Amino acid sequence: MYDFQRQHPIAAISRAFTMIRGNLITIIVFLFIGAQSESFSFLLMIGGGFLLLMISGVLDWWRFLFKVEEGEMHIKRGIFVRKNIYLTKDRVQVIDISSGVIQRLFGLVKIDIQTAGSTSRAAIIEAVPLETAKEIKQKLSRNGNGQAEDEQAKTDSNRVNVYGLPNKDLLIAASTSGRFGIALSVLGTLFSQIEPVIRESNLFEYLFSLLPSQTDTFMIITIIVMFVSVAWLISFFSTLFMYGDFSLEINDDEMIISRGILEKKRITVPYKRIQALFVTEGIIRQPLGYCSVHIHSAGYGDEQGSGAIVLFPLIKRDKVESLIEKVVPHYDVSLPGITPPKRALRRYIFRSAAILTVVTAVLYWIFSLTNWIWLIPILSVWWGWLKYKDAAIGWDDANVVISNRKLAKNIAIVKRDRIQDVSVSASWIQRFRNLCSTDVHVASGDHGSSFSIDDIEESDGERYLNAINSKLLVERQLPTMKASEPVILPGW
Amino acid sequence: MDKSSSKKLAPAIIGVWRWGSAIGYLFLLGLPVIYYSIFGMQNIHFWLLIAISLVVMALWITAVFIVPPISWTRWRYSINENEIDLLRGIIVRKETLIPLSRVQHVDTRQGPLLRWFNLSSVTISTAATTHEIPGLDDVIADKVRKEISMYARLAEEDV
Repeated sequence: MYDFQRQHPIAAISRAFTMIRGNLITIIVFLFIGAQSESFSFLLMIGGGFLLLMISGVLDWWRFLFKVEEGEMHIKRGIFVRKNIYLTKDRVQVIDISSGVIQRLFGLVKIDIQTAGSTSRAAIIEAVPLETAKEIKQKLSRNGNGQAEDEQAKTDSNRVNVYGLPNKDLLIAASTSGRFGIALSVLGTLFSQIEPVIRESNLFEYLFSLLPSQTDTFMIITIIVMFVSVAWLISFFSTLFMYGDFSLEINDDEMIISRGILEKKRITVPYKRIQALFVTEGIIRQPLGYCSVHIHSAGYGDEQGSGAIVLFPLIKRDKVESLIEKVVPHYDVSLPGITPPKRALRRYIFRSAAILTVVTAVLYWIFSLTNWIWLIPILSVWWGWLKYKDAAIGWDDANVVISNRKLAKNIAIVKRDRIQDVSVSASWIQRFRNLCSTDVHVASGDHGSSFSIDDIEESDGERYLNAINSKLLVERQLPTMKASEPVILPGW
Repeated sequence: MDKSSSKKLAPAIIGVWRWGSAIGYLFLLGLPVIYYSIFGMQNIHFWLLIAISLVVMALWITAVFIVPPISWTRWRYSINENEIDLLRGIIVRKETLIPLSRVQHVDTRQGPLLRWFNLSSVTISTAATTHEIPGLDDVIADKVRKEISMYARLAEEDV
C-alpha cells in the first residue's frame, strides 16, 4: 500500500448520492415548484442536473488518490483545485467506518478519519473494500506498527467485553427519542410546500366526508393528531434504524461503537481522545428512569459538527454508573455538588417564564384564545424550578462535574486536563445579588462544546476559578529555559 | 485575577473603539432621515421625529464617547507560564482562564484602524474557542504572541 490507490468506482455514485442527500430539502422544494409547471424543459433540467452530478462524481473519483505511508495518510483530491491532505496518526481523533445502502450492495465501506478541526472533513474515503479499510485503520491506530496480522491478533486477544442493546431497550429508545421535534419541523416544511397540491386534489374534503362530525375545531385537532403521529412514526423508525444492531466493544486502549441497520456505522475512539462524557435524561425518558450516555471527541462526530458521539443510546439511570465504571473507568466520578442558592430560584423562574408569559398574554389578548393557554406560563414556571433543582457543579483535583437542564437534564464529567477554557461571568444584576455564572469549554467538533451553570454564589465561582487555576500551577513543571530567560512584559 | 500581575490594554485602543463605533453606528443617524422620508414632519410626526433623533443621538454619543473609556478601564489580561487570564466587560463581567497547554495557535492581527494607531490585536485559539486581546502596542503584541507560543510549545499533549 505504498503507492497511491484509487477508490472503488462505486465511490462516484455514492458521492453523487451524498450530494443529493445534502441538498434534499432544496431539491424537494424545487421538484414541487417545478411539478406544477409540467413543462418539458423541467424534465430536461432534472435530467441535466442528474447528469452533471454523475459527471462530477466520476471526476471526483478519478482525481481522488490516497495512500498510507509511515503512519501518515496522504490524500490527493479536487477536480480543479488540487488538494493534498496529510493526516498523521498522532493527530487522528476518531476513525469512523460506515457503510450505507450503496456501499453494502457491493460489500464496501466508507472511512471517515477525523482529526481535530474542520479541515479533515475533506478526508472521507467514500468506498473501499473492507480489508483495505481495516488495513488503513491498523496503520493509523496509535500503536499500529504497520503489521496488520499481528495487530489484528493482538486486538482480538485483548478484546475485553462487548455490550449490546436489548431489543426492548431499543424499542423504548425509539419511541422516546428526541428526534421527534426534528421530524415535526421537517414535516411542517414539507407540508407548507405540498399543501397547495393537496388542496387542489380535494384530499381534505374527501377525508372529512368520511368522518362523522366536521366542525372546524375537530378538523384542526385531527390535523394536529395526524401530524404528531406521523412525526412520531418517523422519529421511531429513524431511531430504530440508527441504533439497531448496536454494540459497544471495549479494547485495551480504544472502544468501538457500531450501530445502524440500513447504514452501518463503526466508530473507533481511543480512550485518550475522549474529551468529556455526559449523561442525558430526556424529558420523556426521565420519568421512565432511562437516560443516554454520550462522549465528546475532538473529531466532528455527527453531521451537525457537534462532535458528540453516542456511547450508549439507552440505559436505566441506576445502571449508568456501573456501565461507566466498566467502559470508561476514569470517568466514574461522583462529586458533592454546589448548588445555586435559594435566592437564585427567582432568576431561574424569570428566565424560563418571562418571555413565554408575555407572548402568551399578547396572543391571548389579540386572538382571545381559551383560558387553557395559561397552562403554558404555568408549565414554564415549573420548568424554571426544574432547571434550578437540577443545577449543580462540583470539582476535585482531576474532574469537573456539571449538572444542568435545558429541556433534558445533562450531567457532564470533564477531566481537568481536557479543559480548553473556563469562564466566570456576572451581569450587572447578578453582581448586585452576588451571583455569577460559569462555563467550561471542551474540544468537540468544529466549535467545541460548553457546559454551563447559572447563578451560583459569587464566592463559589471565585473558588472554582481559583481551584482550576491552582491545579494548573502544580500540574505543569516550569520549563528550565524560563528561569534563565524571563520574559517581562512592560505593563501600562 | 491577581491585580498586580495583570495588565491593561494600550490606551490608544480607546481611540480605535471610538472610531469603530462612530463608523459602525452611523446607520443609527440614518434612522431619523428614513422616518422623515416616510412620514414627513406634520403634526405628531414632528415631535416623534425630534424624540427619535434625540434617542439616536444619545445612543450614538454613548457608544462613541462613554463606552470605550469604560471598556478600557475594565479590560485586564495576564499571561504566565500556566495560563492566560482575561477579565473584561462592563455590564457582564467575564473572567476567562485559558490553560497554555491548550493553546493551538496565536495570531496577531491588524486592521486599518488598528494600524492607524500602531496597535495589533492578539488572537488566541484553542481547540474549542477563540479569544482576542483587542488592542496592544505592536511591539508588545508581538512579544505576547511569542511568549504564548513559547509556553504553548512546551506543552506536550495535544487537544
